[in-house]
Amino acid sequence: MKYPLLVAVILGMGSAVLARETAVEIVPPAEGSVSVEDGLDAWSRVYEVTGHPRCANCHTGPSDRPMWSGPTYGETRPHGMNIQAGESRMGIENLQCSTCHTTKDEDWDNANDIPHAAPRVAMGWQLAPVEADWFGRSTEEICAQLRDPDRNGGRTAIDLAEHLNHDLILHWAWSPGGGREPAPYSLQEHINDILAWGVAGMPCPQD
Amino acid sequence: MEISVNGEKREIDVALDMPLLWVLRDELGIMGPKYGCGIAQCGACTVHIDGMAVRSCQLAVSDLAGGEVTTIEGLGTPDALHAVQEAWIEEQVAQCGYCQSGQIMQAASLLDADPAPSDEKIDAVMSGNLCRCGTYPRIRAAVKSAATKLQET
Repeated sequence: MKYPLLVAVILGMGSAVLARETAVEIVPPAEGSVSVEDGLDAWSRVYEVTGHPRCANCHTGPSDRPMWSGPTYGETRPHGMNIQAGESRMGIENLQCSTCHTTKDEDWDNANDIPHAAPRVAMGWQLAPVEADWFGRSTEEICAQLRDPDRNGGRTAIDLAEHLNHDLILHWAWSPGGGREPAPYSLQEHINDILAWGVAGMPCPQD
Repeated sequence: MEISVNGEKREIDVALDMPLLWVLRDELGIMGPKYGCGIAQCGACTVHIDGMAVRSCQLAVSDLAGGEVTTIEGLGTPDALHAVQEAWIEEQVAQCGYCQSGQIMQAASLLDADPAPSDEKIDAVMSGNLCRCGTYPRIRAAVKSAATKLQET
């Protein structure tokens, strides 16, 4: 068994990558305090996040196939093992995400330190809803989806920020561990941008 | 801490983040689940937690949350084989055999959820269990044979 070796590798990685919930604040700017121009600036940063593989890889559409990419994977390609998330988006119809992406109930620090191991958080692993199809989509397409109540779960910008706060898979995106590249900026900065974009009226580049 | 494996309560004294696979093999001497990759890429360590297939190398023992663990030792016995085990023998699926306990546990979980899976469904569910010997055609045949056995009982 290689457990001692893995422990040594983990200890040798230095700073522990936490899979814990990250504390964030939901404090929107005052109504009317964000211009459309500043809102579009905020949106451009939001798009850097939503279009980043760390997020977009699990925001795939009707293909039901999550994607893999990163420094060690070379070009982006479909998740190995013929994974199909199905209509449930959790693989219930086929191989459940949780077969490999186990749920981490206890608060231990090194959950995602081992390269290439299936990431895990304190909630069931799953793809985003099919309506939130971001993979390979343009800034205009993602912006239009995120401000469309029919396709964003009926959420306001504040609701989107709250969603970011509550969904621990999204927290993981900023501390993915295992040598994976995190999503750009920080979770708090991303939430601040979502809130500023909302106060500006959710402007999109195509407006 | 106490965990339940194959219907028995077992007392263990291990680190909270020790993977279940290490607990089973090194602490409890249950050698059916195999170490293949340690990162949920091969499926050799597959066990059932409350009937669902799980890669035991990826589940910290502290995250079991009271779940009942079943290894291949608890799936059937030599005198009363599980239908999947019977089918595996009849189809002579194994070549080297290293991955086979994981394959069987995954197949049993599949048939519990879908008693009559199509070839496509079998491929979709079993693709996470790798076999370096390439016994995949016999695995698929054995899953279908086991499905028939289960439907007849």
